[in-house]
Amino acid sequence: MSTTLDALPQAAPLPRVRLKLRWRLRLPLLHVALAVLSLLTVMPLLWMVRTAFTPHAEVFRSTLALVPANPTVANFPAAFGLFPVGDWFLNSLGVATACALGKLIVAAPAAFAFARGRFAGRDAGFALVVGTMTVPYVITLIPTYMAVVQAGLYDTHLAVIIPTVAHCGFACFFLRQAFRQLPGEIFEAAAIDGAGPWRQFLLVALPNVRAALAALFVLGFLSAWNLYLWPLLVLESPEHKTLAIGLKLFATTGEQGGQWGPLMATAMLGVAPVLILFLLAQKQIVSAFVTSGIR
Amino acid sequence: MVSLSNHEGIARASVQTASWFDRLTMKRFSSRRSPLIWWLMAAPAVLLCLGFVWLPMAATFGLSVVDVNVLRGMAVWRGLAHYGDTLANPDFHLALKNTAIYLAVLLPLQILVPLLLAYALMHLAGRVVSLYRGALFLPAVLSFPIAAVVWLWLFNPVVGVLNAVLTALGGMPQRWLNDPDMAIYAVCAVSFWKCFGLNLPIFAAALANVPPELRQAAALDGAGPWRRAWHVELPMISPTLFFAGVTTLLLVLDEIVGAVDVLTEGGPFKTSTNLLYFLYERAFRHFQFGEAAAVATLIMGLVAAATWLQFRMFERRVHYA
Repeated sequence: MSTTLDALPQAAPLPRVRLKLRWRLRLPLLHVALAVLSLLTVMPLLWMVRTAFTPHAEVFRSTLALVPANPTVANFPAAFGLFPVGDWFLNSLGVATACALGKLIVAAPAAFAFARGRFAGRDAGFALVVGTMTVPYVITLIPTYMAVVQAGLYDTHLAVIIPTVAHCGFACFFLRQAFRQLPGEIFEAAAIDGAGPWRQFLLVALPNVRAALAALFVLGFLSAWNLYLWPLLVLESPEHKTLAIGLKLFATTGEQGGQWGPLMATAMLGVAPVLILFLLAQKQIVSAFVTSGIR
Repeated sequence: MVSLSNHEGIARASVQTASWFDRLTMKRFSSRRSPLIWWLMAAPAVLLCLGFVWLPMAATFGLSVVDVNVLRGMAVWRGLAHYGDTLANPDFHLALKNTAIYLAVLLPLQILVPLLLAYALMHLAGRVVSLYRGALFLPAVLSFPIAAVVWLWLFNPVVGVLNAVLTALGGMPQRWLNDPDMAIYAVCAVSFWKCFGLNLPIFAAALANVPPELRQAAALDGAGPWRRAWHVELPMISPTLFFAGVTTLLLVLDEIVGAVDVLTEGGPFKTSTNLLYFLYERAFRHFQFGEAAAVATLIMGLVAAATWLQFRMFERRVHYA
């Protein structure tokens, strides 16, 4: 009796399906194939970096050498001279940070109320917020544009930030899950100690979901950094543009002058923060992407 | 102010009522505070969602059946005229056809390639695997316009590296984005490059979640890796594959516009536009907001149909799993 009880719950992990020899011999081949594919995948980015450090004259020499003959950093100051690239970079940084933070500030208390509160209309409110996840932003585009123009926010960064923060359905959903996974006892203990909802939220709930908050911040930052159509519609003056839409201006006007080096240097600036975030938090980013299932 | 003090007066006067109220709140609310405080916490999110998602959505439906004169602040009822104009517009037909092409090219690629890669990665071990994963996922974190600018340079017909490779291999240089027959496929290639990595971890997670007993049982029955993949793993992860299909649909209807705008601006001769780019042009180049709202409603209908299908699939999965 005792032996079966012991054996049942922690049955030895099933042995891995052994691959036949024929299959195991194919593994090195698989490694080669994946190495080649990985290299091909990052090749366009390597070529961007290569071009960014290639002097103007050498760009037009048709060559496949991955390292330029005379590497230079002159393309970066050149880009800053052609367009307000510095402004674009700082605008993108500011807008993306504001969007990511704003989403957290709006979503976190709401998610806590939806997770722990008991009040009339809670479920309706939650459905109303989370339901926005199914709404494609195309359908909100035109009225929001008209409202932004009417409100005199056209060509301001607020016009980008406010509607972006408003699409907080996923953040609410994600944080509510995180709050619900916390043991209820810690909140009951805090309530007995006299903590109201706000104190429970700020002192007990938030410090316990730091990982979820960080993942959401990274996700929000990336998606705001990568925004295209909406900033293109509401930001007009060159010095107010973000990097993503500034690049388009650069590409359409700089292409004629063949300013490929400076253009690629600017693109590199657009990739750099994303790349740094990615290298720092690859695991979190990938798992956040997987949970959200979004682009 | 008056009513508040009045309330306090009533509460103090009627102890019985207060204790009844207290008991009720103690039971119904986890905290002793009134529900107002919970509502205050939820209010910003709820109001923003109302004001910037649900209200504009309703407004789009409204705009699609009227003509708005912004200067006079007047709206004239047009009924379904905007829908009629849109459906009769040859550019709309072109956009619809191109959207179908984008879908036909990207849908199979976005599912098959990451799926094969996820299978391959599943059979490999070692530190180098995470390197493959990182490299293959990397383009997915970029934005469409940045990806597009990088490829604009590779596609350059005169000094671009793609033509350099082609000529080095003995091929003919191509016009890529300037070629009406090729532009849409070039945009597809860039979109594929930027997006295929996204499905990779999703599929890998789904494959890892297939219960090992099932594989084991199939192996004991004599099924090799191919048959196990086809008869065990593929059916088990089919909801994930379908989910990826819906994501790809949204990608084609929604996101790809960044690549289209930077790479080709819908050209040459509108051969690479899609529905959203058509909407963008109607609204913000021709200022036909009514027609654009009608297009938005049509796109919404497509997305809603796809989402409905997705829910149906999930429903089936719940019933039969």
